[in-house]
Amino acid sequence: MSTRFHPLPLTLAVSALAFAGCSNIPWASAPAEPATKASVVEHYATLAHASYEDALTTARALDAATDRLIAEPTTANLTAARQAWLAARVPYQQTEVFRFGNTVVDDWEGQLNAWPLDEGLIDYVRADDYQHELGNAGATANIIASHRLTVGGETLDVAQLTPELLARLNEVGGSEANVATGYHAVEFLLWGQDLNGFNNGAGERPVTDYARGSDCTHGNCERRGQYLDAVTDLLVADLEWMVAQWAEGNDGNYRARLTAASADEGIQKMLFGMGSLSLGELAGERMKVALEANSYEDEHDCFSDNTHNSHYYNGQGIQNVYTGTYRRVDGRLVSGPSLSDLVEQANPQLDEQLNSQLDASMEALGLMKAHAESSQHPMAFDTMIAPGNTQGAEIVNNAILALVQQTGSIEQAARELGIAALAPDDAGHAF
Amino acid sequence: MHPITRLLCASALVTCSTVVVANAADTGARTHWHQAIQSGYESLATDAAELATVATGYCNEPTPESRERLQSAWLDAFLAWQRVRYVNFGPVENSNLSWQFQFWPDPKNLVARKASYLLGTDEPVTDEVIEQSGVAVQGFPMVEYLLFDEQLNGSENALPATRNCEVLTAVTRHMSSNSRTLADNWTAFKPHYLETAQYRDATIKAGMTALEILEERRLAQPMGLRGNGKRNPYITDAWRSGNSLMGVEATIVGLQQQFLPGLVTLLEAGGNLALAERIRHQFASVTENFPQAHVPVTNLLGDDSQFRLLQNLYVDVSQLTTLVNDEAAVALGVVRGFNSSDGD
Repeated sequence: MSTRFHPLPLTLAVSALAFAGCSNIPWASAPAEPATKASVVEHYATLAHASYEDALTTARALDAATDRLIAEPTTANLTAARQAWLAARVPYQQTEVFRFGNTVVDDWEGQLNAWPLDEGLIDYVRADDYQHELGNAGATANIIASHRLTVGGETLDVAQLTPELLARLNEVGGSEANVATGYHAVEFLLWGQDLNGFNNGAGERPVTDYARGSDCTHGNCERRGQYLDAVTDLLVADLEWMVAQWAEGNDGNYRARLTAASADEGIQKMLFGMGSLSLGELAGERMKVALEANSYEDEHDCFSDNTHNSHYYNGQGIQNVYTGTYRRVDGRLVSGPSLSDLVEQANPQLDEQLNSQLDASMEALGLMKAHAESSQHPMAFDTMIAPGNTQGAEIVNNAILALVQQTGSIEQAARELGIAALAPDDAGHAF
Repeated sequence: MHPITRLLCASALVTCSTVVVANAADTGARTHWHQAIQSGYESLATDAAELATVATGYCNEPTPESRERLQSAWLDAFLAWQRVRYVNFGPVENSNLSWQFQFWPDPKNLVARKASYLLGTDEPVTDEVIEQSGVAVQGFPMVEYLLFDEQLNGSENALPATRNCEVLTAVTRHMSSNSRTLADNWTAFKPHYLETAQYRDATIKAGMTALEILEERRLAQPMGLRGNGKRNPYITDAWRSGNSLMGVEATIVGLQQQFLPGLVTLLEAGGNLALAERIRHQFASVTENFPQAHVPVTNLLGDDSQFRLLQNLYVDVSQLTTLVNDEAAVALGVVRGFNSSDGD
């Protein structure tokens, strides 16, 4: 995973304890027994399991759709594969809140969601519109066009494009921008470079990049297909592993260790995950850096222009963990004992405040999504961050501010629940 | 006495006297910090104004001498900023001034991309254009790029080319104006800073964050001590001009001069005399043992015997960070919350 970092902490505008709106919480209907820290952690694991299961289901659909595209490279199949990718992002982005604090996820996720990537490692790029990481010897290696690679003095045989090989090629030559696998590699293979800069429009990879014989554009179509096949197979295998880590009734998995440890430890991981994603990652790295530097290189889903959805569902994941609810891709609702229940027991006013702040964040992110998807005047995230786009900047800034505010309350909630240090302390523990 | 303290005293007389002592120390520390940071900001404003003047002078009359003056004016202002860069609260948060002075790190070389756009456009580069161009354009890294980038210096756009001079003078004017605003706003911020008890912890946390960034992002990562183990000079500050280590030194000196005295006041008021002394001693030992700061970090990373100099510095800085961020923070009851480094 990328180690992008900007040293200026976002302002924690610790808001006055205002009664800002009352959120209506339909799922809080008469719980059978009062929530305890232990039951909340147990249900957190259930939420994680359901979320990863959905990520797996939609990744399998993506795998099937890309298989069809490779077998039959038609425009309809390319469109279907892109739709499947977009659908797969919905549950996956909601799992990102489980990343921070749970080392088992953080150590694993780079292979699935690393960004930003130097896509010239994978396939052809337009030389005059490609800015790669400084000092990255693999930035233009083009695995698809090569059978052997020499990166940073190391020669690698890449003739057979297998999932195992691609996994090994991550960070080849020591650069974290050398991302060979995961959602963004698939995204690049389906959309190609977005050459529209701040203007409307995503990548426009032609379906003929997968065509056979003389119809093949940009060369190496067969290897491109092999790459896409291997990288989607790897995605499915990785998600299968993570689903198993959160499954109930397995003594050897992560869930067993998490629920056997002290409940305070679990609660701390939950709050740490929410706060870290909310402030440092989503508000900071994924929005503020891109906006303040007017940098579409720092856009999350930069090939497909799906960044608004990635942000929206990240925000949804944070709300899921606090409220103990998750709307599955098939429409079923998962709900149970939540952090919200615990905070309500301790400080109802804070619970109300945090719930309304989470609602406000979802509203701000929803507005970003609505603008990006507007049929009349669509404004994608890379257009919002263009120099001089005051309306776009306001949309992004409002989302940042809402996330900053809720993070202040997450800190308060941690104190209220007796969690003093939010830094994950895993010394002496196996996870 | 602060109203909150009065309330506390009324309800819990037992703890009242320690609260009063602690509060006197808090006020003392914040009074010192305000004044020290003020002088840091004033130096920055003076040096940035000088940089803008020298840049205009150079562009009017480009000679080897005026070029040298320009480069050294850039360095003076950059080091003034490094000394006060640790302050991450208060007026520097307005309009994102901190990022405007230094957008860092810049792994995607955004500064080069933005410069190439500005140097290639037919539109005049006015102050308004700089205002609109985002943080990668508005500060020290952009001026460093214009002055020191090898590729640019070998091209027809090299200084003193007209367009480059336009960008250079507009950006340095922008920095000068920002630094003046910052110093003035810090003056105006004084009553609020002194009245608001939370700024005690905010200031301590600022120092802690700066030390953590020094240890992790400005030393350990470029040295290849983290992640994939690859040494990488491009993620240091000021690698183009070879001044990364001077910048590190300036930050430590800034913390020693501006941050340390207030910290020591608080530790001593709480009876932590030995810890205060150890921290003071460790600051001195980092600055005394500082490696030849004029060697570009690229050279140190490329040579194993030289690399040891960096390793020694790293060990000294880590010990300092542990003393402040672990021991002093616990002694002073400072609990760190979320900050932007929690992302990946």
